[in-house]
Amino acid sequence: MTVPSDEACVEAYQREIDYVFRTLRRLGVSPSEVDDLAQEVFLALRQSWQEYDPSRPLRPYLFGIAFRIASTHQRRRRREVVLAVVEPDELSAPPDQALQAKQTRAVVLAALEKVPLPRRAVLVMYDLDDMPMDQIAAALGIPLFTAYSRLRKARRELEAVLRRLLREVDVRS
Amino acid sequence: MIRNVPPLSPEARAFLDREREVPPLSPAARARSMARARAAILASGSARRAFTVSPSSKLRWAIAASVLGVASAAAGASAYRFRDRLAVGPKTPAAISTAAPAPARTSGRSRSSTPSAPVAAAPVPSATDDGITAEPAAVSVADVRVQVPGSALHRASRPVTGEDELRLLRRARAAVAEGDFEGALRPIAEHARRFPDGTLAEEREALRVKSLSTLGQTAEARRAASSFQRRFPNSVLVRVVEQLPTRE
Repeated sequence: MTVPSDEACVEAYQREIDYVFRTLRRLGVSPSEVDDLAQEVFLALRQSWQEYDPSRPLRPYLFGIAFRIASTHQRRRRREVVLAVVEPDELSAPPDQALQAKQTRAVVLAALEKVPLPRRAVLVMYDLDDMPMDQIAAALGIPLFTAYSRLRKARRELEAVLRRLLREVDVRS
Repeated sequence: MIRNVPPLSPEARAFLDREREVPPLSPAARARSMARARAAILASGSARRAFTVSPSSKLRWAIAASVLGVASAAAGASAYRFRDRLAVGPKTPAAISTAAPAPARTSGRSRSSTPSAPVAAAPVPSATDDGITAEPAAVSVADVRVQVPGSALHRASRPVTGEDELRLLRRARAAVAEGDFEGALRPIAEHARRFPDGTLAEEREALRVKSLSTLGQTAEARRAASSFQRRFPNSVLVRVVEQLPTRE
């Protein structure tokens, strides 16, 4: 049996489930683990649902939860050897165009992965999700100045990764 | 303050823009995830009902604890007098303390006790106790018992949660990922024994079919696949199970 607040939480999660999954991938969670971690995000959201102020946007709040869970997971993963599992959804080959788009996105994710997680979180929220910096700082629980500082470093690191990637492409071609 | 942050180069901006859109999940993945979320709510609700006691039960527990305490004290005193009469050994403080009554139960909720309700509670520092289904006066069995972390009583009284289920399934998944299909069958069997109708039974059975078929145990894989299709005819994993080789 569910209670009304559970229902509201489930509905909110259902609305943002695509965002939760994508955010976890952007934070470096592998496809084989994203399902479990999304479940953890949901459980944490449900636990803290009473604290959530519905007048505020949900995405920064969700991102904060996803970031903490991804950080914990990353620490745990350092102690384990992780190997990819065949994803049930990937058994059917997508059309060429979709495959190409998927590959392109995979390259972006790989580049993002080179940026350390705390700084990547700010970069993703600011440059991909277009969130205001004060909301980013609040969601991550850091001072505003720190958030700007992380963004500056993250952009510099991403630019460096890109330059390296372009050089590699040049060498291959 | 933003003036201090140099803008992204056009190349980097164009590069990032490829990732700007949030792609929709496949219907199967969405259905699976929502089913798990709803199952977790149901599981935690039933777990809470199973491991909570009503205020009247709480009173009974208190009375029982008091009776037990008085009985222990009386037994301790008798033993002490009896031993005194027989003059067995010197009266050391340690010997006396062994006959002391059990420590009284602490009132209120103990933070060191095992949480009773959350299923796979996520490690979020700001998360608080789940008060959604808990009644204010309800206390869990784990709270009622006097617990020393790490003790046998502590371990024995730890309620079974969805996290235990998930842990077993994770072991199975990790073994499958490493290609250790025999190793995967062990947590699968344990999960089946402990949680025959658990929230993750569907995934467990799919992993069983995959492991058996990869090990070449086709007869057993075929049986497991048929059983899976009968038991979970609407599962999003039916298609995956059907594609696994279960024919010689």
